[in-house]
Amino acid sequence: MEGASSNGVLSKLSLLEVEARSRGSHPQPQQSRVKELKAKVEALKTKRDQLKAELQTHKLLQRLRLSEVNHSEEEDMDEDSESSRVLRLMARHSELTDLLRAHRLIGGYEVVKTHQGKGVCMSIATGYEGVYLDTYNLEMDTNPKVRISRHNIPPFIPLDTLAEQSDLQTGIRTFLDTLSQHLNAYVGRRQQLKLMKEQHKSVEVMESNILCSMLVLMFTMPEQVAVLCLLDYKDLSRCLPTQVKLDCEDEKLTDSPQWKKSCSLLLELPVHRALTAMKKMGTVV
Amino acid sequence: MLKATLEKWDRLTPHQRQSVDFTLPKWVITQTLVTICEENGLTMKHITELEMMHVIENPNQGTWYSFQLLDPEDDAHSVELMLFKEQFKTHLRELMRNVSIKIKKHTDEAVWIRIAWGSGFSRPNHLKPTYVVHYLQSPYVFVRNLTSKLKPLLMQSLTLSTRHQAIKDANLSGPKLMAIRDLLMKQYQQSFPTNDASPLAKENQPGPIVNEQAEARASRRRMASEAFGKGAVPQLQSAVYKLETKYRDPSNRTMTERDEPFRCVVKYSSSNILESFRHCASAGIASTPVTPLLSSILLKGRNYFVITDNAPAAASQTRQADL
Repeated sequence: MEGASSNGVLSKLSLLEVEARSRGSHPQPQQSRVKELKAKVEALKTKRDQLKAELQTHKLLQRLRLSEVNHSEEEDMDEDSESSRVLRLMARHSELTDLLRAHRLIGGYEVVKTHQGKGVCMSIATGYEGVYLDTYNLEMDTNPKVRISRHNIPPFIPLDTLAEQSDLQTGIRTFLDTLSQHLNAYVGRRQQLKLMKEQHKSVEVMESNILCSMLVLMFTMPEQVAVLCLLDYKDLSRCLPTQVKLDCEDEKLTDSPQWKKSCSLLLELPVHRALTAMKKMGTVV
Repeated sequence: MLKATLEKWDRLTPHQRQSVDFTLPKWVITQTLVTICEENGLTMKHITELEMMHVIENPNQGTWYSFQLLDPEDDAHSVELMLFKEQFKTHLRELMRNVSIKIKKHTDEAVWIRIAWGSGFSRPNHLKPTYVVHYLQSPYVFVRNLTSKLKPLLMQSLTLSTRHQAIKDANLSGPKLMAIRDLLMKQYQQSFPTNDASPLAKENQPGPIVNEQAEARASRRRMASEAFGKGAVPQLQSAVYKLETKYRDPSNRTMTERDEPFRCVVKYSSSNILESFRHCASAGIASTPVTPLLSSILLKGRNYFVITDNAPAAASQTRQADL
């Protein structure tokens, strides 16, 4: 019951009465209110000055970047050399960030800092014929040596060999370019196979492999002649085959000009397009 | 399951298939099938074909062990199926005369090998075949039901026929073939840091109610998915840590004073341990950043670790147990 009396309605009322009595003098609340408002004004003033300073810095950075592009004399900088150096660095930094963003937009790779600057993460985008396909990522430690720590690149892409060939410490750009080539080529070959299966249902895939580096197809020529076609993609950085072999039972056909034309089409065009062309020519049913 | 395989096998007439009553006890079904097969004049060759088909469709029995091929020769990348089949059969037959080998390529580019082992004097034992799965041009091989006596024979044939110089234990095993395959072939979603703005998945909390720990929670979730993947993870069922470290407990002097390491084995099991670990980390039960002991499962693609004092993260010692 004691607890109830300190929390009950009557106690609440008596508290309010005490408050009302202490608020006897009128000027007090007004004064405190005025103080409050003055403090707020100060805070807003400092914020305004801060924003003005930031705006100034940005304007100077813009001028710096433009001046570097136009190779013109620097604008009159009345600050001392320390802050002008900082501004130059900031200008360069924003330039590089924009460049990186642009590079990524055109389908190149993107670099992101991780682990408070102790590592980087590269993202390589792949695509074929204007369609964006998979994105592959590599996380690397930069201290003490450049080393790949985590990635989602499939094991049949020779990542270790490529890393050895171009020295990761100095030639990381070459490594990324070669890796991007290999990945794009693999994805391209895989996409070609998928498109071929969709567009040419009459062509049978006898053999393929997980790296899409070899393809054996069977299609029929007019008069029910079955042709076995072997496509070898020995150069893993390319989407087109390095060797084409066509085989059929009828010996005479192998010498015909149509045959040679088909071989060259399969070497020059992606497989789904080559088959479309061959169908148009009437070589393939 | 067997019913579906029998249909696919296509060596029995529909009438014969219908005459098999799958609600009867196992030995009755077996008897019926044996009679039907004898009627059709089917031989061991056909039965092994049926068994292989069944195993390919339902691989999640027994335990699959993974191996990694090392040091490929220059022409390893151009090994194609015909050549591999020929070479493997030749090499294995050179090492053991009485073997029955069946090689089949599955639609997902996997090469399945069924081996029934005999010995110098006896015919192949078809009741305990070894199954091997390999993806050409990838370095991994998955094996089920291989005794340690026959292991060197298989390993040598595989190494030679895939044009590599060595093979080692990959320290990853489990009952689900697809799970360990997805893990090693990196066919699961990983989470990487990017500059993209995170999607607007934030909860719309009304007015003054603010989640005090929103940042901490988001960071835990991020670290958990970086260590254990995003979305559906491969269904691993266990992780084993064999500890060979010295006992460390300041309150227990007798144990700490011993010179030899305190040997013990820590085993985590669950129907999906990666999912469990991920949940523990994002809920805050496991500390984040995730310890490398746990994140190595996905990072190094293994679930058997030997921890010694010199190398606290995974040591590359192979297991001694029988397969």
